Amino acid sequence: MDLLNLGIKSIFIENMVFAYFLGMCSFLAVSKKVSTAFGLGLAVIFVLTITVPMNWLLNEYVLNEGALTWLGPQFAEIDLTFLRFIMFIAIIAAMVQLVEMIVEKVSPSLYGSLGIFLPLIAVNCAILGSSLFMAQRDYTIAESTVFGFGSGFGFFLAIIALAAIREKLRYSNVPDGLKGLGITMFITGLMGIAFMSFMGISI
Amino acid sequence: MSTETLEAPIVKEREPLLSKRRKKFVTDPLSDDNPITIQVLGICSALAVTTQMKPTFVMAISVIFVMVFSNLTISLMRNLVPTRVRIIVQLAIVATLVTLVNEVLKAYAFDMYKELSVFIGLIITNCIVMGRLEAFALGNKPYDSVLDGLGSGLGYSWIILAVAFFREIWGSGKVFGYPVFEKLGMEGVALNGLMVSPVGAFIVLGVIIWVQRTKTGYVEH
Amino acid sequence: MQQSNTYIIVFSVILTTVLALLLSGVSQVLGPKQKEAQDLDTKKQILGAVMPMADIKKMEPAAILDLYSKVITAEVADYQGNLITTNEKGGPMVAEEVNIEKNYKKSPEERQYPVFKYHQAGQQNNVEAYIVPVYGAGLWDAIWGFLALETDLNGIKGITFSHKGETPGLGARITEGPVQARFAGKTFVDGNGNIVELQMVKGENTPESKLGPHKIDGLSGATLTANGVNDMLNNYYGYYQNYFDKHVRTGAMANN
Repeated sequence: MDLLNLGIKSIFIENMVFAYFLGMCSFLAVSKKVSTAFGLGLAVIFVLTITVPMNWLLNEYVLNEGALTWLGPQFAEIDLTFLRFIMFIAIIAAMVQLVEMIVEKVSPSLYGSLGIFLPLIAVNCAILGSSLFMAQRDYTIAESTVFGFGSGFGFFLAIIALAAIREKLRYSNVPDGLKGLGITMFITGLMGIAFMSFMGISI
Repeated sequence: MSTETLEAPIVKEREPLLSKRRKKFVTDPLSDDNPITIQVLGICSALAVTTQMKPTFVMAISVIFVMVFSNLTISLMRNLVPTRVRIIVQLAIVATLVTLVNEVLKAYAFDMYKELSVFIGLIITNCIVMGRLEAFALGNKPYDSVLDGLGSGLGYSWIILAVAFFREIWGSGKVFGYPVFEKLGMEGVALNGLMVSPVGAFIVLGVIIWVQRTKTGYVEH
Repeated sequence: MQQSNTYIIVFSVILTTVLALLLSGVSQVLGPKQKEAQDLDTKKQILGAVMPMADIKKMEPAAILDLYSKVITAEVADYQGNLITTNEKGGPMVAEEVNIEKNYKKSPEERQYPVFKYHQAGQQNNVEAYIVPVYGAGLWDAIWGFLALETDLNGIKGITFSHKGETPGLGARITEGPVQARFAGKTFVDGNGNIVELQMVKGENTPESKLGPHKIDGLSGATLTANGVNDMLNNYYGYYQNYFDKHVRTGAMANN
């Protein structure tokens, strides 16, 4: 039940985009068309579901204070937490590279439409952010996996919803200065209000 | 990203330390080519810390530090970095600098460290940093790159400080934690709780972008 | 020449080594300072339960540590109330280093329970308050704090709260001095000696006469955070009963 709760929480209540502003760069850049947004959303789910548990393993067995105890009791005092940022980002970059190669092989059309955005995932704050939240909140391996998937799914929902709105928006008469980024900010804000109504829900 | 990479500087004689061309590196990102409002970069980690001015200020300083030094380092190494692994090299350099900031904050400003928590770490994935490294530092001399980093850092900073100013004064009636309205004798000024929630950040930033783009006449198509 | 695999590998190895050396150097240099900062932060919060936070914030770090060492004696107990004196690594147990958040993840029976005894300088046997850490879930994320109990173990002498992500201006107000002051003087036990759950009520500005000794004026717009606070306090008050029975209540009788 706790896991389900955590899943719901990471998808709706603590949505990466609306509650923590994470992944905004690709969220804004790739949300002009639903089809591309769909592809990016899937890629984010995939990468997050893999990287968060992987970084959990790394954190638990290498980086945390006393994590190296499995090598022998003399390593119990070693604290490598200062390497956390660089190791997490290294794992993420490697995984993104892998996903990119797989997508290129399996679906050239998707690869074509995602194009330059796949490398962007490596510097997508939502990916690194989830791993850092995972480390900070001391999740277990099961929680990490659920949290990774939930965060990814939350991002997926958010970006598809925004892309759908922006497709319609093309026919609206928006003031010049607000075109593009400005109006998208307002829309995101309003969507955030909608997502706020999930607040306080727990199962 | 902008076009700076194309203008590979062909300067024969020594130009003054702050020539007109170099001044533009610093001043351009402040308004005409602002990383947030025009280039749409680096919104990710910034907005979450802007409920109050104090953490925002620390965040701004950290970002400027990381930008200047990562630009400098990459620019110094620009002829050594193998192109095939350049992204990961950039990430490694930035991650190292961010870790430095994090460790220093933890040692000397523990309260700020607690408050900013994971968001300092997220400077690594701040698109402005990576963007400037890719677009500028890889193809330009160290000194120019430092100025470019400084300019973009400042351009980013003033926007997030502006957002934080409005959010703090409307959301909690304070500026840098100082209760302005109370001290002015204006008790009971209505505050808007929405401002401190994420939604407030989007709206405030939207308005700032609107004002700024109307001023510079930039229209996105 | 730059693109050959050997070059890339050599470059990567050198870069990694340089960066790793740099980082471990920095962490070596700053490590002790970070431990101090963390230690100071915990001690500030513990002291905050028995004296105004504003006064503590005015003090120099050295003065805080000095005061702390004079007026606080700490020990750690398990769920049954037996004292724990050695930690997992075989060294002496330090109450300030018990990670409440990590403990919270375990079941109550397996947790370690630190107790901080407040007394005037040099009068260790004359305890004036028992300070215990509390931890729980607010609306968004974790909330925690330190609860100072009177020597009768029923009344609240003082309290401090911290939170990770409560809404600023609403739930986050639990960190404000005036809000925390509302808890002082409330009690967990009624006239007949039965435990009554404390309750921070819904809505704000309820007159004191309506609240009585077991209810606390709430925070308007933050009922869910207040509920979290209620659960946290009542749970932890329960967890410490074994310790109190074994070490405080009986000890007090023996002394008299």
